Amino acid sequence: MKISSKLLHLEVRNFFREKTVRWAIAGLVLFGLYSFYHGKNVIGSQLATISSIPSVQKTHLQHIAEEGKGKSVGTTAYYPFFYTANYPSPWASFSIGQRDVNAFSLKIKILGIEGQLYDSELTNPLTLLVGNLDAAFVFIFLFPLLIIAFTYNTVSQEQEHGVWRIVETNAPSLLTIIFIKLLVRFSAVVLTASIVFLTGVLLLGLPFSGPTFQLFLVIVCYLLFWFLLCAFVISLGKSSSFNATALVSCWIFLCMLFPGIANVLISGQIAIPEALETTVKQREGYHAKWDLPKKPTMETFYAAYPQYRKYPVPENEYSPGWYYAMQYAGEVEARESAGQLFDKLAQRQALAEQIGIFNPVIYAQQMLNRIAATDLTNHIEYLQSVKRYHKQLREFFYPPIFENEQTEHLDWTSYPKYQPEAAAMNAGNAPVWPLIVWSVLAGLSAILLLRRNFIQHTRRQNA
Amino acid sequence: MHLHLIRIVALHEIRTVFRSKMPFILYSILLAMLLLAGFVGWNYVSKFNAQQARYTTEVQDNWMNQPERHPHRVAHYGYLVFREKAPLSFFDFGLDSYVGNSVFLEAHRQNTVNMSEAGFSNGMLRFGELSMALVLQLLVPLFIIFLGFATVAGLKQNGVLKILLCQKASYFDILAGKTAGLVAVTWLLFLPLILAALIGGAVLLQNEINAELLLRSGLILFVYAVYFLIITMIVTGVSAMSKNASNALIMLVLGWMVCFIVIPKSAQTLGSSLYKAPDKIAFEQAIEAEVRKEGDSHNPDDPHFAALRANTLKKYGVDSVHKLPVNYGAMVMQEGERITSGIFGTQFNKLIETYQAQNAVSVILGFFDPYLPLRNISMQLCGVDFDTFSEFQKQTEQYRFDKTTLINKIHLTQISYENDRAQKVAQSNWQQMPPFEFRPVPLAATIYNAKWSLIALLFWLVAGAAALGFISSQRKFQL
Repeated sequence: MKISSKLLHLEVRNFFREKTVRWAIAGLVLFGLYSFYHGKNVIGSQLATISSIPSVQKTHLQHIAEEGKGKSVGTTAYYPFFYTANYPSPWASFSIGQRDVNAFSLKIKILGIEGQLYDSELTNPLTLLVGNLDAAFVFIFLFPLLIIAFTYNTVSQEQEHGVWRIVETNAPSLLTIIFIKLLVRFSAVVLTASIVFLTGVLLLGLPFSGPTFQLFLVIVCYLLFWFLLCAFVISLGKSSSFNATALVSCWIFLCMLFPGIANVLISGQIAIPEALETTVKQREGYHAKWDLPKKPTMETFYAAYPQYRKYPVPENEYSPGWYYAMQYAGEVEARESAGQLFDKLAQRQALAEQIGIFNPVIYAQQMLNRIAATDLTNHIEYLQSVKRYHKQLREFFYPPIFENEQTEHLDWTSYPKYQPEAAAMNAGNAPVWPLIVWSVLAGLSAILLLRRNFIQHTRRQNA
Repeated sequence: MHLHLIRIVALHEIRTVFRSKMPFILYSILLAMLLLAGFVGWNYVSKFNAQQARYTTEVQDNWMNQPERHPHRVAHYGYLVFREKAPLSFFDFGLDSYVGNSVFLEAHRQNTVNMSEAGFSNGMLRFGELSMALVLQLLVPLFIIFLGFATVAGLKQNGVLKILLCQKASYFDILAGKTAGLVAVTWLLFLPLILAALIGGAVLLQNEINAELLLRSGLILFVYAVYFLIITMIVTGVSAMSKNASNALIMLVLGWMVCFIVIPKSAQTLGSSLYKAPDKIAFEQAIEAEVRKEGDSHNPDDPHFAALRANTLKKYGVDSVHKLPVNYGAMVMQEGERITSGIFGTQFNKLIETYQAQNAVSVILGFFDPYLPLRNISMQLCGVDFDTFSEFQKQTEQYRFDKTTLINKIHLTQISYENDRAQKVAQSNWQQMPPFEFRPVPLAATIYNAKWSLIALLFWLVAGAAALGFISSQRKFQL
């Protein structure tokens, strides 16, 4: 197939002369700009909150230490909160994902952890329902519409205007003509996407590193899929109205109905009553201990911390050591259902990713969220890091509690600090092969059908 | 305007729709989606409510079976409330998946309502949930578009319009007839289904039918009927303004994208950047600062609590808190509870007002996008809206405060100040406390809350009719 530069040049002129094309590109660029503003806004205010934490933490502990003067650490240690934060990755503003739904900052006490992990952030539920207009939305939902608008009448318009007959008789190869038309359109889409993406990289301050290129790779492969899907519909050789209807139906199916059904399937398949179970269990597990003999509670505690066995715990009166042992025992009782909860959340994620392979829209969104570390996996990792931190904190306070130290003798700045590196920044790899496979399938079917519906058809007529 | 001509055009339109195969295929798909969504939603709500009821009973039983305990231990043992879904929530999921399902109520602390479905979702939820309301709100308009995009433009293309206009019918008669025919088909295909689903589903969930439920179902039916009419008028109008059918289709599909995807999202993100709501840390810090200003119960020299002590001592005519006939510790605690609860209430109301201001943007934009008012009214009538949820938060906080007050009263009168910690009171004390029961927003209040959305919907109805009148008066749209 030889592409004459003259034909290419003519087609470019012809394509960009349409007012709708220029409007559509301008509209999408505008939405892109708004999405960057929005992403920066959401993640920016989260960052502002996170950066306020150290000073809040400092004054909070100062108050606690002040008020606790003259009391034992065992009494005072009940009060302080320790703040943790799930730091956004630099790419979070590009694809906000689940960061607006899940708490990005949790404060914990050294009491039983299970009741403290699921505190929600204050949010407007309607805002959550409607969702974010972030860059990922522009690329995943709006760009396919641009592709549809560019391509639905590629050949059919000329057929409807009667130009195609002339082309058929004059052109050296119809396949080349169609190829040139599609090439021009695809270049326009990729060019627009690149400009919007590059603007995003600059405005959002994304680093020029692996994940940014991965984002771009996923987007280009995703747009290629949509483009070839459009080519497939065109190759059926139907009217413009049919093409538009069919493509919009594809869009609605892939972007709305398929995920809707998949979501029902996932939450039905993997129900999580453990969420409530854990809360109830921990509360009962801990509170029942008050009315039970102290020995079994202490034994549960000693099983993990035998070094405290040497401190006496009176059977007939309250002691701080016993109090924190009760908290610990309550946590141990809820551990099983808490573990199940985390397992099920991981199962949900795995099932969702399996389903995603069958739907490029879901898949691309998942990959963007994974690269940006804004998916459920990231949140679970954060919760687990908070659990680990909670353990460090408990273990920091146990010695002064059992030693019955006074509050003023404890250095309230030497507590273990939350280490964010453990949670975030591990943007996983995002393979694009499912997008490529779908693109190839659509592309091959398109070529086959084009040959059948346009080329052979012409030959028959000529014969 | 000739009524009998409108009728002839309408009847002809109905016959045309039923003659072709495409509407039948599209309707079958929509019907399947509706039935699937209805069944799935109903199944989910009934299972969910059964689960919530099971845990509610468990928590209540645990509460009743508490042994003798010190009142303040009971105050920290606290109570868990599990949110149940409204009976019509299977029809429209609204905000249900994005708001918490359980809240822990204890002394001194206002906890958030936690464990929302969205928090346990991997993001698939964000594509939108498949509910009957989603199908009716988003896909039925598309169905009407596919059914009617050619209704007038097609007549122009094949020249029939000119023949019709040469006869007695005015252009307005034709547009009105076309609209009537299309909307009659839509109503016939969907309204009976909506009514049957609403009443059947709600009765199966609750095992009873009451006047309020019937009224709500009737209103939902009415607003959806109006909505379909508005969409049909727009479709007929655009079809009448277009030179040919494919132009009409492209315009309509583009309009659908803008009104159903782009505007709703932009409206909400715009609202949240116009009215900044505080995040949790800032919210809590503001409350803490105010509480410290009002009175710090931990500080022995705090003027507020010093005054409380002086007044109490004076009232009982003693010189030391140890000699008081009541437990002074409990009194301090209740005073602290009163202060924090009051300040929290004020701050919380402010927060709710900020959210309402954010949501008002989409109410105002309802005058530019007919989907928004319907979405809002539908959520409100189904009891899955913002007001219902903030009402839940307010009622649980009130319940928490009442419960804590009662416990503090027991502490005040039945536990003596000396050796406070070692004492216990009988279990009968908390067995008299009633369990939490949510009082949903009454229908009258719902309608009041929905007033602007209702007005917007009626505005669209009038505007649609006026637009058809205008289009029919323009000669350029007749060619």
